[in-house]
Amino acid sequence: MYRRTWSAARTERTRTASVRVPRDPRLKALWLKLTTPVTDCRIRVVRKARFVRGAMVVVLTWFWLGCAFPQAPANRARTPDGHPDLSGIWQVLNTANWDLEGHAAAPGLMIPLGAIGAVPPGLSVVEGGSIPYLPEAAAKKKENFAHRLELDPEVKCYLPGVPRATYMPYPFQIVESQKQILISYQYASAARAIDMENHKKAPIDSWMGWSNGRWEGDTLVVDVTGLNDATWFDRSGNFHSDALHVVERYTPRSPDTMRYEAAIDDPKVFSRPWKISMILYRHAEENAQLLEFKCVEFVEELMYGHWKKKPSQ
Amino acid sequence: MTHLCLAAGFGLLALAPVYGQAPAKIASAGNKDWTMPRTTDGHPDFQGFWTDASVTPLERPKQLGAKEFYTPEEAAEHDRHELVDRTSWDRLGSQAQVHYDMSQYGLDVSLVKVALTRRTSLIIGPEGRIPPLTDEARKRRADQAAQRRGHEFDSAQNRPLQERCIVWSNTGPPMTPAAYNSNLQIVQGGGYVAILQEMIHDTRLIPIGAQPHLPSNIRQWLGDPRGHWEGDTLVVDTTNFTNRTNVFGSTENLHVVERFKMVDADTIVYEFTLDDPTTWTRPWTAQLPLTRIEGPIFEYACHEGNLGMPNTLSGARAAEEAAKKDAK
Repeated sequence: MYRRTWSAARTERTRTASVRVPRDPRLKALWLKLTTPVTDCRIRVVRKARFVRGAMVVVLTWFWLGCAFPQAPANRARTPDGHPDLSGIWQVLNTANWDLEGHAAAPGLMIPLGAIGAVPPGLSVVEGGSIPYLPEAAAKKKENFAHRLELDPEVKCYLPGVPRATYMPYPFQIVESQKQILISYQYASAARAIDMENHKKAPIDSWMGWSNGRWEGDTLVVDVTGLNDATWFDRSGNFHSDALHVVERYTPRSPDTMRYEAAIDDPKVFSRPWKISMILYRHAEENAQLLEFKCVEFVEELMYGHWKKKPSQ
Repeated sequence: MTHLCLAAGFGLLALAPVYGQAPAKIASAGNKDWTMPRTTDGHPDFQGFWTDASVTPLERPKQLGAKEFYTPEEAAEHDRHELVDRTSWDRLGSQAQVHYDMSQYGLDVSLVKVALTRRTSLIIGPEGRIPPLTDEARKRRADQAAQRRGHEFDSAQNRPLQERCIVWSNTGPPMTPAAYNSNLQIVQGGGYVAILQEMIHDTRLIPIGAQPHLPSNIRQWLGDPRGHWEGDTLVVDTTNFTNRTNVFGSTENLHVVERFKMVDADTIVYEFTLDDPTTWTRPWTAQLPLTRIEGPIFEYACHEGNLGMPNTLSGARAAEEAAKKDAK
């Protein structure tokens, strides 16, 4: 009784406040219906019931939509043991292979190649911007750059080492199983087998190093040792010694992209450890396939041409 | 939201038949109680390290005629003779005792695991030999030999593909036993069977499915493989070879079909059929076992360490200079 009286009085007071009431009779009826507080309990109960029913419909539809069309998680595909499935064909979209550090466009070394041989611009993939060389090493890097046509191992189709293999301008394919993850690179048919189970010490140095892998949550962490000193990091003369130790991290960030990080540690060349970071993009074409780039044949004239038999007089 | 789906899913799974769990008992010369290992998609699990090192010749010795298999006693004697009596350089037919003695590197077949078989030759069938060449192939071979004669050391391009470190002849397809490092690693995942061969670190990435081959204008040294399962046998069909791949004298028309069938925990029977109507008068098939080894595969950086090529060519040029001087 009290409530009804109070409500009625309040309604009166509300109505006398400066509120614009629609003139159209149908709109007015609707306006009154929506703005008049409900005084009848039965109406309240019915409205509550309708509200709850409506809310349930919304919630159930939400669940249904969620189940039928699941939000693709960052790492959609998983192997049966629960880890992200990194299998597929991947490639970078940056110019890290030209120069890990930030670089403007520049002319190339071969005039006949014109714009095709020119250096494209790119931002640094080095965290912090620049590579922390020790003073003597910085001088050697400058010398490498000046003689890069003779000294860059990529010119001779030599194996690229780690991490350079990852950001060469060619795709690579990951074949993932529980005990071993194989990475096959289109460039020079380079290959690595990452042992996920029986971690052993590198028995000997090699061009592509010795890889022991493990999962940290959804990140594949690969510890690479046993790298020889014959590879470069890029075409600009950034180099390392045989003390190089690389720790890679492959972290899916969406169904078709991964974040790739490589921590570089080489106390003979750098004043502190440093890190590079970039995105790997999946080749999503239906017919995506690694093709052969067996470049040894293409460098024979360069490497052995001067020992060719001269045509007899 | 995801948990709700999983809850519903589990309910359904409980009712579904369990696939890929039924063990397949396959009779083999070895362990009769062996169960085929399987990947979670139900197919055989071939993963691991394998060798196709062998002491069985590709072609049957002529004196054996149509005899396709040794008796167990004959096989044991044959294997013992090959592995114990013969030396590394006997097997390789080399006169240079120091360089080709693989035993000093621990690489000789007498020192590694060998895939033994009772077959008298890897080529199967009553003849056990490569079929006759077509007339076209005979002429082609004669022409090529004539062109090569006297020019074997003119340039890098005149040397064999192996010496150039472009492709190793035993890598295949088809895979054949090498004098050493006859090692491979198989990894299965993402809809592919990958075979990494030690020499020269080549990976064959075999997609499983019905995708068409590459268009005919794209040719590859190792061809273009396509795989599918026939029951528990992996069948790999390879086409699109270059005209310089040269498998026992083949051309770009080469077509290779390989079959992999696991018969016990440590043995895969590997069979290949070569078909090239412009080279052989009929297709021919060879069969060899792959035996499981401990691994791992080591890096064979052939091109990076290729001192042989500059030494061979510069040596040939020096020999020519010396011959010129002597002639004067």
